[in-house]
Amino acid sequence: MKRPGPLLTLLAGLVLGLSLLTIDATTSTTAPTSPYRDRSPSPAPLRSTVSPAPAPAATPSRPPDGDYAGRTDDDAAAVAVSVRGGRAIAYFCDGRTQESWLKGDVNADGALRLTGPHGTRLTGTLRDGARIEGAVGVGGERHAFTADRAEKPSGLWRATATVRSAKIDGGWIVLRDGSQVGVLTRDGEPSPAPRVDPRTGAVTVDGQHLTARPATP
Amino acid sequence: MTVDPNAATRGFPEPARRGPHPARYLVPALVGGAVAVGLGVYGKAHDPAGTAFDLAGFSSTGAVKAWLASAAMFFALVQLVSALMLYGKLPGPVWSAALHRWSGRAAFLIAVPVAVHCLYALGYQTYETRVMWHSVLGCFFFGAFSAKMLLLRWERLPGWLLPIVGGLVFAVLTVIWLTSALWFFRTFGVTT
Repeated sequence: MKRPGPLLTLLAGLVLGLSLLTIDATTSTTAPTSPYRDRSPSPAPLRSTVSPAPAPAATPSRPPDGDYAGRTDDDAAAVAVSVRGGRAIAYFCDGRTQESWLKGDVNADGALRLTGPHGTRLTGTLRDGARIEGAVGVGGERHAFTADRAEKPSGLWRATATVRSAKIDGGWIVLRDGSQVGVLTRDGEPSPAPRVDPRTGAVTVDGQHLTARPATP
Repeated sequence: MTVDPNAATRGFPEPARRGPHPARYLVPALVGGAVAVGLGVYGKAHDPAGTAFDLAGFSSTGAVKAWLASAAMFFALVQLVSALMLYGKLPGPVWSAALHRWSGRAAFLIAVPVAVHCLYALGYQTYETRVMWHSVLGCFFFGAFSAKMLLLRWERLPGWLLPIVGGLVFAVLTVIWLTSALWFFRTFGVTT
């Protein structure tokens, strides 16, 4: 003898699931699928010294704080983003000669729009606090990237110091698999960075022991 | 109508009759497997949309899902208790069979929107241990649940089968809840 009840339960779930999927599919077609569709063609300001009025004090839903790290789709460079209280800094770095620090705001809907020196731009979308998808425009090139949420010790590290009268500025992106992408500039001259200990932040630059710290806005 | 799940098997010791109907177990197992694999393939193959429609009154989609999942988990606990009543392990009222059926339906139907959002907006992901287990077990859950529903259609089953499958479904849902809603509440706070 067969009972019909369990099958009806399954069918009800199937119908519910399919109708929700249909609603999702039909309502999301209007949402922007590309985070950089509306990129303005005009050259970006070099560095915005005045932030455009912080978001209204009552922010019911601010994007969650977190660190994100990943590689560009062309595997040429790494990108890390650190989000704190609706503000973000990002670091784009190819591990050899090219690097850029960017900063800006994160909207409540997760949209990021960061700017850095020499017209460097990062546009992206923070998706469900799990990852950031977007693109970095640097040196006239566009690198699409996906940065997944990073837990310590992976993430974004920075060390600044003066070693033998040279201004040292190092940035490291530690990826989930433990690999590092970093560039060290000595008086503005970039070079591959020595390895940083991701547990302590200890790094040796030109014989001098420095401590890198997690970079936050 | 109340159904004692033990009655049929006890009153009918027919070892010879199990042989001719392997389909009774094979079909639910195959359908369950197909459901689990199908959900995983869909989650992996399609491009995660990132967003889906939202319920009003909640601060984020994550909060909606965490609360819906918690409601499903509550009904799953009712499932466990009412199942123990049905099998005589706990004293229970005469309507414990109805309680078991309807709390199960509630848990399943509440879990469906959560799963739809997971699969549509986030997809099958493996970038973290927690996320990997959640993805794997989330797909497995709906497969195991489908298998159990199909097994339930036959009254003459070995007495140990339903408790095993039901316990498996419950255990998997628990891990899914721990790796999603509990993680959400611990990370973002108990928000609505």
